[in-house]
Amino acid sequence: MRKTGQEEVRVLLGNVAIARGIVEAGCHVVTSYPGTPSSEIVPAVVEFKNELGLDTYIEWSANEKVAFDNALAASLTGKRAAVAMKQVGLNVASDSLMSSAYTGVIGGLVIISCDDPGPHSSQTEQDSRFFAMFAKVPAYDPSTPQEAKEMVKEAFELSETFEIPVLLRPTIRVSHAKQSVRLSPLKVLDRPANFEKNPERWAATPKYRLVLHKRLNETLQKIRERFENDTKWNYETGKSRGASLGIITCSVSFVSLMDILEELNLKSAINVLKIGTPYPLPQKRIADFIKRQKRVLIIEETDSVIESQIIDKSKVLGRLTGHIPLEGELDPDGIHNILADVLRELGITNLEKITDSKLDKLVEKLKLQVRKPTLCAGCPERAAFFAIKKALPKAIYASDIGCYTLGLNLKAVDTVLDMGAGITLASGFYQAYHQDKKDIAIVATMGDSTFYHSGTASLLNAVYNNARFILVILDNEITAMTGMQPTPGIGITADGSEGRKIPIKELIKGCGVKWIKTIDPYDIKKLVKLLKEARTYTQRKDGGIAVIIARHPCIIRYPEVCEDNPVKVEITDDCDGCNYCIDYFECPALYINEEKNLVEIDRMFCVDCGVCIDACPKGAIIPIEKQNKARL
Amino acid sequence: MNVQIILAGIGGQGILFSSKVFSELGLKMGLDVMGSETHGMSQRGGSVIAHLKLGKFQSPLIRKGAADILYSFEENETYRTLHFLKSGGICFVNLESADQFNKSIMKFLKEKEITFRAYDATGAASKIGSIRSANIALIGYSAGTGLVPFKYEDLRSVLELVSRKKNLKINLKVLNAGFQEGKLLKT
Repeated sequence: MRKTGQEEVRVLLGNVAIARGIVEAGCHVVTSYPGTPSSEIVPAVVEFKNELGLDTYIEWSANEKVAFDNALAASLTGKRAAVAMKQVGLNVASDSLMSSAYTGVIGGLVIISCDDPGPHSSQTEQDSRFFAMFAKVPAYDPSTPQEAKEMVKEAFELSETFEIPVLLRPTIRVSHAKQSVRLSPLKVLDRPANFEKNPERWAATPKYRLVLHKRLNETLQKIRERFENDTKWNYETGKSRGASLGIITCSVSFVSLMDILEELNLKSAINVLKIGTPYPLPQKRIADFIKRQKRVLIIEETDSVIESQIIDKSKVLGRLTGHIPLEGELDPDGIHNILADVLRELGITNLEKITDSKLDKLVEKLKLQVRKPTLCAGCPERAAFFAIKKALPKAIYASDIGCYTLGLNLKAVDTVLDMGAGITLASGFYQAYHQDKKDIAIVATMGDSTFYHSGTASLLNAVYNNARFILVILDNEITAMTGMQPTPGIGITADGSEGRKIPIKELIKGCGVKWIKTIDPYDIKKLVKLLKEARTYTQRKDGGIAVIIARHPCIIRYPEVCEDNPVKVEITDDCDGCNYCIDYFECPALYINEEKNLVEIDRMFCVDCGVCIDACPKGAIIPIEKQNKARL
Repeated sequence: MNVQIILAGIGGQGILFSSKVFSELGLKMGLDVMGSETHGMSQRGGSVIAHLKLGKFQSPLIRKGAADILYSFEENETYRTLHFLKSGGICFVNLESADQFNKSIMKFLKEKEITFRAYDATGAASKIGSIRSANIALIGYSAGTGLVPFKYEDLRSVLELVSRKKNLKINLKVLNAGFQEGKLLKT
């Protein structure tokens, strides 16, 4: 923190800067479902709320569509509302997004959809700016945390001026960038909730929707005019007449490019137009820029949103002409190489490309093992997967999104599609085989937070349509992967206040499931037995879907659970180095001592959960206490 | 002044905390701060890396061959991230002895005039009672060597600002231990 006169500067993570923008805009309601790279926004709003004594209403919603609708309703009462999610979360909320573009908003509504080019932590690389275009809502595309904060504030103003939802699209390199950010004073907006009835608009019938669509198109035209004249987010960095190339760019690609041009001393040779409002595109500005350049290169992440909107592409090079990779992140070295290729192709200059150096080759020779993500030592999900694999080794394993996707490492995950698909794919698999009169074992796995997000409709559909499979709910009483957000199951809300607990078992019962058992997965033997019983139930004439709630707290969130009841283990001479525990249990605390060719315990990682005792087929992992007793 | 720092290690080694230390240090030194961090799935036992740029920069990521300083809290992560260092850069590795380091890569570092310093930060931190403060030991050590433009007093006051209350005392002790060892090397 640094204060100079009235101005305060803090180093903020991009998502925290966005939270600050939300707070500075006087926003009243903030909703979200966690997902990387968006998860830090809500906790930061909570922190600002506490620091500044605000009365912002903040909720972790059950899913993104729920979050969207709750924020929208606040806006219809005249309040300002923000809804945050990761890019694939916008798929879930898209029904509401599309419709609300037509009906519009009253208080400012800002949608923050964080993209993940790479992808680092997502199932797709989709570009949320395309969603803005698809839904016909304006989009802002920040390059830095500071800019993201300012854009949030302007997005609220724009949203209120034109009565339209507005999208902010930070990419992961903005959300997880850190920057010294200048803070501004907060806006205080007194907006008592006041929903003015207007069924023609808020409950518009298809006939009136056509009218709304026409209005939306007119609104977009006005917004485009505003963006044409905007110089804060859309500007040129140089107007060199002798420039041999023009570049249109946006988001983090812009700042990467600026550092590269500075470093290579190419600032006067290349003119740059930065676009912070990719939709609706300021067409005149773009056309005017292109007219003044010999050739124009478009560098944008992740897809071709600006490029595809450009009307006259005769001078344009970009992704559509094969000059920019179709997938993956555009890192600075990648941009350097794109630039080198284009400058050579146009005969402008020979810029050396960045290639693998001597060092890279030396490091390659070390054959370093890739450190792939793995379930933590002591993770209850590992215990559950191990039991599933042991009880039903030939089953189809339909899994879902969360830490437990890493059940892949234990070879107990066959499919991961999207939130909720553990259950829907399981029921789909059942029906496809059942149609051929084949009985196969199917085990769906789903975390507690994912079940609350989108499990119920899938499960009741499966029950209703007579599907038969085993569903194992991996209930660790938290949303672990995204940073330990509470779930409806523990009944704590986003700002730590008490909510109403929704026990998962009651939900499952409500979906019509008749066979539900709860068990601690740490007891692998019992769980194996229970899984076999569950399988029998799915085959019985009067059987159906069997649900096992495998409940054990997340070892990271609740470390005291193991600390209070440690089961210290050691490996006896019975270990013959068969590698079974390494391949099928995959605990980071177990490793092969290559000299002895025997398994050893890495005490740095071991949390004394004792689960591995049941994982060794030779009985070579035993509790230390027990051995001491045997010796006596 | 412009300084580009890479912090490398594995999940749980306090990379994000170290990044916070250097961010606040940058502010204290009157510099602008820009950087990038790893969050999410890759944090589950995977490699973690933080980029930190103090001074006049626009982009958050450090380019290949551009970093002034590399702090690596684990040997293998050093090999993976050395390519970020510029010729003439400095590398601080949490390692008992430089002899353990790969010989051919060490030779390459010499060719590139990269200064290499191995320091058993884990050992030093464990001695004081917190293996988890190894990151701070290495940072303290670097300041002691006088090879980096960071002042001990500044680091101290930054730690006071960013440490959790219960960790502060140990953090300061570890910082000092690292610093003293670094100083020994200097003289």
